[in-house]
Amino acid sequence: MDRMDNMGTKLDALFSEYRSAFPDMEGSTNFMPNLWQKIEARRVANTSIFRRLAQACVMATVALTLLMAALLPHLQREPVYNMTYIDVLDAAHSSEAADLIASEIR
Amino acid sequence: MLVEFELIERARSGDDSAFSQVVQAYRKRILGTIARLIGRPEDVEDVGQEVFLRLYYSLEQLRTAEVFEPWLYRLTVNAAYDYLRRQKRRQEHRMSDLSEQQVMMADAAAGGKQNDEDQRRSKVKEQVDALLEKVSDEDRILLTLKEVEGLSLKELEKIYRVNENALKVRLFRARQRVLKAYESGEGSGES
Repeated sequence: MDRMDNMGTKLDALFSEYRSAFPDMEGSTNFMPNLWQKIEARRVANTSIFRRLAQACVMATVALTLLMAALLPHLQREPVYNMTYIDVLDAAHSSEAADLIASEIR
Repeated sequence: MLVEFELIERARSGDDSAFSQVVQAYRKRILGTIARLIGRPEDVEDVGQEVFLRLYYSLEQLRTAEVFEPWLYRLTVNAAYDYLRRQKRRQEHRMSDLSEQQVMMADAAAGGKQNDEDQRRSKVKEQVDALLEKVSDEDRILLTLKEVEGLSLKELEKIYRVNENALKVRLFRARQRVLKAYESGEGSGES
């Protein structure tokens, strides 16, 4: 147990020596200019990502619009109702009406 | 806190000059912490800039200025962890490209240029690196924050957002593993 304690103390001393071997440091005079350069570079990169994304969306929308404009006339079916209600009645009862008028004349 | 809450609020609302002041205030401390977490002085500035870059773009998500420091430490831990992972991959790749003799020659050439202070520093670094290799990158960072940085369990609790007991268990296991390696002479520098 004493041996472990002893090793522990030695390890603590080694860590402390390591601490003093690497004291706090100021960094070079270029630290701040380089940092701001990196911040700006990241900002530009982020902006260009959004710009590219927006461009891609616009292109996709234009392509879809053109595709729809080309395909829609071909895809349009015949209208279901191409006659009015009166026309349908007229077509269905035209012979009856002719008979009725003929009988009245007689 | 190294700065007033009001300055952080201003930086959070998009004031770039306030952000610069916050960086200036914390730069020294964060760069020092990164140096001790990753153990490679030549890459400290890059990782530090990554931390403050992430801070700049995530500052608006900060709930209150009171939790700023744990938030900054969390960003530091994440950036250090990402670096260590990348470094491990790169090292495997680089070592596979070089023969053992080339690696030894490169080490000897680098050693020749060092002065006494650098030699002492690199010896300590090698020792600690060898010991911390016995635990995962996550545990390496946690152990460094506790044992080298001297952060309290309360502070670690805020950074990691886990309860104190879970942290205690994790720290105990990691320390035991490192202690075992130290005992068996892996970090004693006697190899």
